[in-house]
Amino acid sequence: MKLAVVVQRYGAEINGGAELHARYVAEHLARHAEVEVVTTCASDYVTWRNEYPPGADTVHGVAVRRFPVRRERSVRTFGRLSELVFNHPHSIADELAWLESEGPTSPALVRYLAEARERFDFFIFFSYRYYHAWHGTRAVPGRALLVPTAERDSTIGLAIFRPLFQRVRALMYNSLEERDLIRAVAAAERVPGVVVGTGSAVPGDPQPERFRRKFGVTGRFAVYIGRIDANKGCAELFEFFQRYAKASSDGLTLVMVGNAILPVPDHPRIRHLGFLPDEDKFDALAAAEVLIMPSYFESLSMVALEAWALGKPVLANGRCDVLKGQCLRSNAGLFYEGYGEFVETLQTLEHTPSLVAALGVNGRSYFDRHYAWPIIERKYLAMFDRLRREPAEEVVARSSAWRLPAWRERRGRTVPAASAVVEQIPKGPSRSADA
Amino acid sequence: MADFSIRADSVNVEDIMRQIRARVREKRGVDYTEEQIQELASVKLEKYLDPDNVRSELLQQFRKISATPDVQAEEQSLFGSSKPLVRLTRRLLRPVLKLFINPDKLIQATRFSQHVDLSYEVLHNLVLEMTRLGIEVKNLKMRVESVSSRLDFYERRARALEGLVQYRPVAAAAAPLPAAAKGGAPPPEGAREGDAQAGDARSRRRRRRRGRRGGGQPPQGGERQDAAGPAPDQPVAAEPRAAEPDTEPPRDPDAGDAAGSGRLDQ
Repeated sequence: MKLAVVVQRYGAEINGGAELHARYVAEHLARHAEVEVVTTCASDYVTWRNEYPPGADTVHGVAVRRFPVRRERSVRTFGRLSELVFNHPHSIADELAWLESEGPTSPALVRYLAEARERFDFFIFFSYRYYHAWHGTRAVPGRALLVPTAERDSTIGLAIFRPLFQRVRALMYNSLEERDLIRAVAAAERVPGVVVGTGSAVPGDPQPERFRRKFGVTGRFAVYIGRIDANKGCAELFEFFQRYAKASSDGLTLVMVGNAILPVPDHPRIRHLGFLPDEDKFDALAAAEVLIMPSYFESLSMVALEAWALGKPVLANGRCDVLKGQCLRSNAGLFYEGYGEFVETLQTLEHTPSLVAALGVNGRSYFDRHYAWPIIERKYLAMFDRLRREPAEEVVARSSAWRLPAWRERRGRTVPAASAVVEQIPKGPSRSADA
Repeated sequence: MADFSIRADSVNVEDIMRQIRARVREKRGVDYTEEQIQELASVKLEKYLDPDNVRSELLQQFRKISATPDVQAEEQSLFGSSKPLVRLTRRLLRPVLKLFINPDKLIQATRFSQHVDLSYEVLHNLVLEMTRLGIEVKNLKMRVESVSSRLDFYERRARALEGLVQYRPVAAAAAPLPAAAKGGAPPPEGAREGDAQAGDARSRRRRRRRGRRGGGQPPQGGERQDAAGPAPDQPVAAEPRAAEPDTEPPRDPDAGDAAGSGRLDQ
């Protein structure tokens, strides 16, 4: 079997959620099939500047083929078009212009996919929102699988993505909530789908004391790991934590791990350690009492899974359906939807070590049950088997039949604002008993 | 913190969150949503905090508006002006104006508007007062909780102390014996220690007296030794025996000593 993994950026040092997810999947599927990664020369997700040389490469033993990005992203144009399509009635042409401005615009990559269509059994696309996925899935009808990594943000409400979800052979969801979201937006019930998620490279023996010694961290602490950004809910986290620290003089310290886009407050109980290599990151998780995940939008939080793999509970933002659903299904984390609940849950974890231990045990078991690599690999292989058995003609016909609206229709400003579309989608965690 | 009954395999996050939400509601006092609290917090409290801005003549204002309207005066205020020329023109044109509009309704509308203003102010003050009372009730609830927990603590402490006292049967039961023998009330705890020391002193004196009577002969036989009382290094268990000589009549010539000893006992 020959597989192509198509992703916007790829590299050993690229730590973005979807990109890391793609790398892990490619490396694990390489044990069962011949895998080639098709990607761009970009390494920065904001500018998409060409930084890797185009052509063939190898990363951790997996063949990689890179294609240049035609132009860097103009932040101003992208911002203007985002404002238009997210918040105002607009046209399909506006949405296509938005997709072009978002990038990474690489027609060479799409051409390669079209040419190589017969050479691969399946093409696994990561991240529905980018240029490569929208155009790439059209180039390989009947052979495209999509790992959408969709979040409940305005992008999912754009009209151009509905046909994308319907024209792929299968959808590999990260969570039940993501599945419900995509089905609600695109009516993609007929498309075969499975909730897979991803595993992680969790070390067997993290050293909490090594972390404490190295960074001079004493006492009990809660940890946040990820980009320190307002979009990730960090502004709210800082506000809540400072209020908590004022109310609880001998409580937990907050350790922030990751690159800071948002300024970290100068507070005696907030420590910012910057970006850490994996070893230190896992040591920090092992030393922490709890991982805090303040993000509003996640399709799957890998760091939450890593915390559970290490037997640590998670305190998540309850307004993120995915995190809340996972906490409820795993019985391995608490969540908050305001300051009152934040302080109460944090104090509960702080003062009830037996609860922390019990949540940790549940987390580890949840991770082993659903996110251990053998299980992930089995789900992918089972889907490939299923797709090989089922005829692809219907999907190919559907995909080929789909055409962009005519020139005049494409420019009619009749498409509702994407944010208004998202508002109509039912909220809340999934109640299904699956994963 | 509230106690959770935790079994590692049966943790139910939904239940825990329900308990946590109940506690948050309890602490908050009223079941407001976060948005409602934010809205309440945005209410301007300056008027309440700054008494100068509170209208003290609110009642008079209400009465003034509610009183029978003086149409003449109202008309004067409606058409009046500080400038004589304007006032004159308005007075001259008043009949013409009355052909087009009904000034009475205008006056009524003005009065109604004043009423609304005052009612709004009253409502605002009521909301503030209710907020203040709500906070006070919450504080009082917290104080009651605090007093109740202190009461619990003192009750537990009292029970513990009672248990401690019951746990000293030998010392507590033995010491009151002499006083009980005399028919008196049992002495306080401090007095018992004094009795023991006094008994010790008495036995030393008795040994000295016997020594004088016996010409310095050593005591003979166990019985004699017993009568002499405990050795100085003999512990508290022998104390009741030390009290026994109190029942003996003062047969010895050193009656003064004996009497003195008796007085000491008392």
